[in-house]
Amino acid sequence: MPTINKRISEEIRAQARKLLEEGEVAAVLGYGAGSLPMTVKPLVVRRPEDCSKLIWSAFCVLNLANYLPAALKSVEPPRGPRDPKHEGPLPKVAILATGCWSRNIVVQIQEHQVARGRVVVMGVGSRGMVSRRKVEALFPGLEILAVEEGDHELVVRGADFAETINRWSVVRDNCQSCTHPDPVLVDLRIGEPVSERKNPNPFKQVEEIEQQSGDERWAWFTREFSTCIRCYACRNACPLCYCPTCFVDDAKPQWVGKSLDAVDTGLFHVLRAYHCAGRCTDCGTCETVCPMGINMRLLTKKLNKDVLNLYNIEAGMEPDSPLPLTTYTMDDPEKFIITELTPVPRAVKEGK
Amino acid sequence: MSETNNWEPKIIAFLCNWCSYAGADLAGVSRFQYPPNIRIVKVPCSGRVSENMIMSALKSGADGILVSGCHPGDCHYISGNYFAKRRFALLSNLLDFIGIEPGRVSFSWVSASEGEQFAEVVHSVTERVKALGPASRLVKQLDAVQAA
Amino acid sequence: MKVFKISPAELDTMIEQWNKVHVVYAPAMEKQAAASPDCAPGWCRVDGSAALTLLPLLTGPTLASVKPFFFPQPETLLTYTLENTRPDKGMMREPERSKDMQVVLGVRPCDARSVLLNNLPYQEDQFFQANRQRTALVGFICDQTLSTCFCSRMGGSPLDNEGLDLALSRAEDGFIVEVCSEKGEALVTGLELAPAPEGDISALAARRNAGGNPSATELDSLKGSELGTLYDAAMWQSLGEACINCGACTFICPTCYCFDIQDEVVRGQGRRIRYWDSCMFPLYSLHTSGHNPRGQKVQRTRNRFLHKLKYFPDRFGPFSCVGCGRCVKDCPVNIDIREVMDDLMHLTAVE
Repeated sequence: MPTINKRISEEIRAQARKLLEEGEVAAVLGYGAGSLPMTVKPLVVRRPEDCSKLIWSAFCVLNLANYLPAALKSVEPPRGPRDPKHEGPLPKVAILATGCWSRNIVVQIQEHQVARGRVVVMGVGSRGMVSRRKVEALFPGLEILAVEEGDHELVVRGADFAETINRWSVVRDNCQSCTHPDPVLVDLRIGEPVSERKNPNPFKQVEEIEQQSGDERWAWFTREFSTCIRCYACRNACPLCYCPTCFVDDAKPQWVGKSLDAVDTGLFHVLRAYHCAGRCTDCGTCETVCPMGINMRLLTKKLNKDVLNLYNIEAGMEPDSPLPLTTYTMDDPEKFIITELTPVPRAVKEGK
Repeated sequence: MSETNNWEPKIIAFLCNWCSYAGADLAGVSRFQYPPNIRIVKVPCSGRVSENMIMSALKSGADGILVSGCHPGDCHYISGNYFAKRRFALLSNLLDFIGIEPGRVSFSWVSASEGEQFAEVVHSVTERVKALGPASRLVKQLDAVQAA
Repeated sequence: MKVFKISPAELDTMIEQWNKVHVVYAPAMEKQAAASPDCAPGWCRVDGSAALTLLPLLTGPTLASVKPFFFPQPETLLTYTLENTRPDKGMMREPERSKDMQVVLGVRPCDARSVLLNNLPYQEDQFFQANRQRTALVGFICDQTLSTCFCSRMGGSPLDNEGLDLALSRAEDGFIVEVCSEKGEALVTGLELAPAPEGDISALAARRNAGGNPSATELDSLKGSELGTLYDAAMWQSLGEACINCGACTFICPTCYCFDIQDEVVRGQGRRIRYWDSCMFPLYSLHTSGHNPRGQKVQRTRNRFLHKLKYFPDRFGPFSCVGCGRCVKDCPVNIDIREVMDDLMHLTAVE
């Protein structure tokens, strides 16, 4: 009996081939095998014969929605002044999507980055993606040369060891705290639907920090972000970050300095996270791609928590609803407004 | 030591043109005195104040920041301050989360007819910032950078 | 070349001795560990007797390359004041530069070689040269390599001591210390070390010989190939499509040396800094006019690889890659420079 992910891979290949052969879509966004254990390569497949390269595994940690706007653009016919006028609808792109990625596609639709009619969402229920970093941490000082994936366990092999580990124990933090593993937007179902996960406290990691004192939180913040090398992998891997000019590249005024100064680095992370407020689906890509292993996801998770608590909105759940920061209600909480006012001393008031 | 004793906080106040700035004006005309620690930046609407501006003020060494707009329902642009309200609610929570002292960044609603209330807001903001002392978190220091 | 043999305890004493007169750095053992405030991410200052706990080193290259010791992020070039009350307002000054010798421990042969490669374009750069002068590299040749290591393919060798000031290699009950430069000489003067026995020296030489001649590689055919063929290859399209254009590869790369210069003014005090830039960023090649000659992702991706494998060797001789494999491990989208080289080799073979 092949594993669940092997069966899903087969189905993806078959469906992708069918879509391309029938001309339903011009490209399929998926994954190919990586060159190292526990890696995958994002892949844009344009020819039916290339569909055999597509795979599905527990290591599909990159958010494919990040590639969607560019992929859609790449299949459009040229529209220069000398080009013939295009008749009929524009070509479509198919994309693999789990719960969080499908919610990102919804956000992209809400923000008019992607036209709903041009996307074929191949929905895959997520069983949680494995963190390469967590697996490596279990084998300090040892190089992992191969990882075989079972449904509930991973067999990790090195030069002189082979060990079986529990799969769920090395699943990424964001997947462990995920409550919507099944895609919210599906045109084509791949594999079996996954039921909503009951998670007693999806914001446990955030609450652990909230319970600390202000000084402790500041110490955590400065320590956590001290190793940042400002490569912007977190920003560039994020499907929410599509501004042509990012605020870090603004020159007049320059909001954030360019060096590794702790303040500039801290500001970058605070502002980056804040720009994702109400839009982040906690896909965990930022954290996964960080070459320095910084857990910047906690900042966006905190914002997700506040958006849920204050406005009862989870990003990307309903395509027709506005984003939390583009709307308001009359009775939004305003606890943060100063209420304790110091009365103006009488003498001052009378100008004496 | 004398320097710390004589320390007076610098507070950047982003005031909306239609209400809070007019409120500040009224406070002046009505001769309500308020601490001279604030430096006012006039903005069209509290909805114009972006997180970039607030963080930039902090980074440049402001000891306190005040953002003030029209009361909800009174916005000259009808809804600017409602949007601002959502944004500031999230921002002030996030700043608290990373350990910026509560009170560094304050928000208030002051209308054009509330000169006295404006003076009160400035008094209370100044007092809170004075109690906190000079800002050091997320304040860029050139010396520290040069040593590295 | 002098060759000594020391015991682990002697190594410890050596490091303690250096620590008294120099500033000593060692690789951080964990990537997630917080950066020390006084040095670059991935490195830490050695304080006192902590030296031995830092060894043995992890297999393969250190977490961060030695680049920041020679090419700090940022380097302050000039300082000035903009305060109106100061008579020297707006006058540029050279900052006080530390002349203290810095000793970097645990450097691998690949990183040592990267300094020599970066030295080619920075031959006349006073800042790079000043840092080079005050930095001594104490390295360990590699007993084992990782599956991501490919230094021999790039013309290096895991056993090389080129570029190191002191090269340590593991021997029975201790280390063999090769003194490779004047700076290395200075580090061991005053220490009473026993010369290495003839047997150990010849054993090391034998290991090196067994590795073959590293300087020539099959990749050399790229150097003679037509640029146009490489430039117009179809492979860049798919590579550029997958690349997210972050700067991870360029910043963790020991041989990426691009920079930008900027003035920073904070409350009236200014400094002109030189900081790392990455050819992966659109801003890197953006002209003031708004035109961007490398405005597309695929162009930027291609530039990085062709610079390392074609433009740099055409101008300076060697490839601008030492095969440390850091980018292979850390690329978020698994772009593997070894596969890129294979594809390019395939192209030139077809040609």
